[in-house]
Amino acid sequence: MDMSNHPLLSSMDEPPPFPPSHPHLRRLDRSVVCQICKEPFQAPVSIGCGHSFCSSCIRSSLDVMKKCPSCNEPALEGQIRRNRALEEITDSWEESRPIIYELAQPPPTKKRRASIQESNSKPSSSSGTKRLKPNSSREGSGSRSQSPIKSRRSDDGDHNSLNGNGEMEDEEDDEVQELTENDEAPCPICQATLPISSIPLHIEKGCPPPKTKTNGNGVGGRKGNQKADWKKVFSGQGLGGKSKDKEVEMKRITKPNYSLATPADLRSILSEYSLPTTGDKPTLIARVQEWIILFNSNLDTSHRSSLSALRAKLSDSENSKKRDKEKGKDEMVNQLGSKDGLQKYAKEKKGEFERLRKEIIERDRKRREQEEGKGRGRDNAIEVE
Amino acid sequence: MSGLSTKRLMKELADIQSKGTPEGIILLSADSMEEWVFLISVLGEETIYKGETFALRMKFGNRYPIDVPEVTFLANEQYQPPLHPHVYSNGHICASILGNEWSPVLNAVAICITMQSMLASNKKKERPEGNDRYVRTAPSNPKLTRWHYDDDTV
Repeated sequence: MDMSNHPLLSSMDEPPPFPPSHPHLRRLDRSVVCQICKEPFQAPVSIGCGHSFCSSCIRSSLDVMKKCPSCNEPALEGQIRRNRALEEITDSWEESRPIIYELAQPPPTKKRRASIQESNSKPSSSSGTKRLKPNSSREGSGSRSQSPIKSRRSDDGDHNSLNGNGEMEDEEDDEVQELTENDEAPCPICQATLPISSIPLHIEKGCPPPKTKTNGNGVGGRKGNQKADWKKVFSGQGLGGKSKDKEVEMKRITKPNYSLATPADLRSILSEYSLPTTGDKPTLIARVQEWIILFNSNLDTSHRSSLSALRAKLSDSENSKKRDKEKGKDEMVNQLGSKDGLQKYAKEKKGEFERLRKEIIERDRKRREQEEGKGRGRDNAIEVE
Repeated sequence: MSGLSTKRLMKELADIQSKGTPEGIILLSADSMEEWVFLISVLGEETIYKGETFALRMKFGNRYPIDVPEVTFLANEQYQPPLHPHVYSNGHICASILGNEWSPVLNAVAICITMQSMLASNKKKERPEGNDRYVRTAPSNPKLTRWHYDDDTV
């Protein structure tokens, strides 16, 4: 087919590649591209084998299969590590690319100078808009600062509830005391504070965030807690994970075990992040999965998006999926709705229909013979005309 | 179609546009970002498919490239699927790359190359065992079939 003027490519504003006379620049250009989405890395992370991808790309991929897409080595989500150096390299390369692109152009001859300069400036400016777009939007959303998430957390009462929690511990910890099964303790895995008796079940379920006021991620009410922490240390209980609290504040969401989680569990995760809780279990699972990818990969970059931006992304992708699904359905419905379509469908399936009919007739005949053979005249086979 | 898969397919299309496809592989149609058709022929003198051309259809879902596209050989008046021990007469293909060995770093052209080499290494023109039974009951989407990948020789 004629590829020179493909209609689908008209909306594409890709930066032009470097000329073949600069193979090393082409190589450099390729090396800051994620092999899954083929875009410059966004929130790059590395996994156990050393390959790097965008955080959201590899998280989506590991949801489907537990291996490295590049080398097939077994890989787990727990191996994901933020690759800060690669992020820095990608960002600075994207920033300098338009300049280097101009420098890499072959020197124009006198005659054609004007026209070439024109064509030079065009692609480089489009490359500026395209490849640098993520950067500019990143800056807009407040690079580096983790404030959107922090402030949100304190906004919606997490903070308070945990402060309350912390005070409670404060009282408890006045003396060394034996814990009974009604007391609360941090889960050894996710640090969420739970009644001791419910911890085994909680772990079994893959550490879902607890439903009531205690915060799912064990996000500590940081300030009021210090005293309690120290008391714990001295009383021999140990800090457990409490020392990690600072990171826990921005902690990744622990994946629930989707086969054990009830719709209510899923809804409580969703409501914790102020997300819609409508839909049946598969819908809820898809939403939680998508959200965890968005939220966790947002923690792997210094260009953090606000939570509301993440929510918008989630609803976008959900809507486009819905459209896709409905489109497929419509085609079928349309086909069966029209007379011609129905006839066509009947024609296509005629062979299958005939085969099934014959099979049933044959089966019934056999059954009848068998029963007659047993000497029982009763005919209870289904009548097939 | 979600933004990610469209973007990715655009890049692949642009790549094909600028670099072309490998020999023996032609992009026949790419009218949308949902369905592409490639023509595949096997090169060289030794192949048993000399002079034959097959049409490979790919349907991309909105989770491409995380999810493998739905890939079948076309079976219509114009094109017939190749006679191959891993290709059913309805065009369904039993190949691990289209199942558990799919990787999101692969792309449409890589699938074509794999199919081409699968045909090139074949010596016997025959249908898979149980072809008729499978074709009778097969779902229209081969991704819904449970495949067993047991034979690495062809």
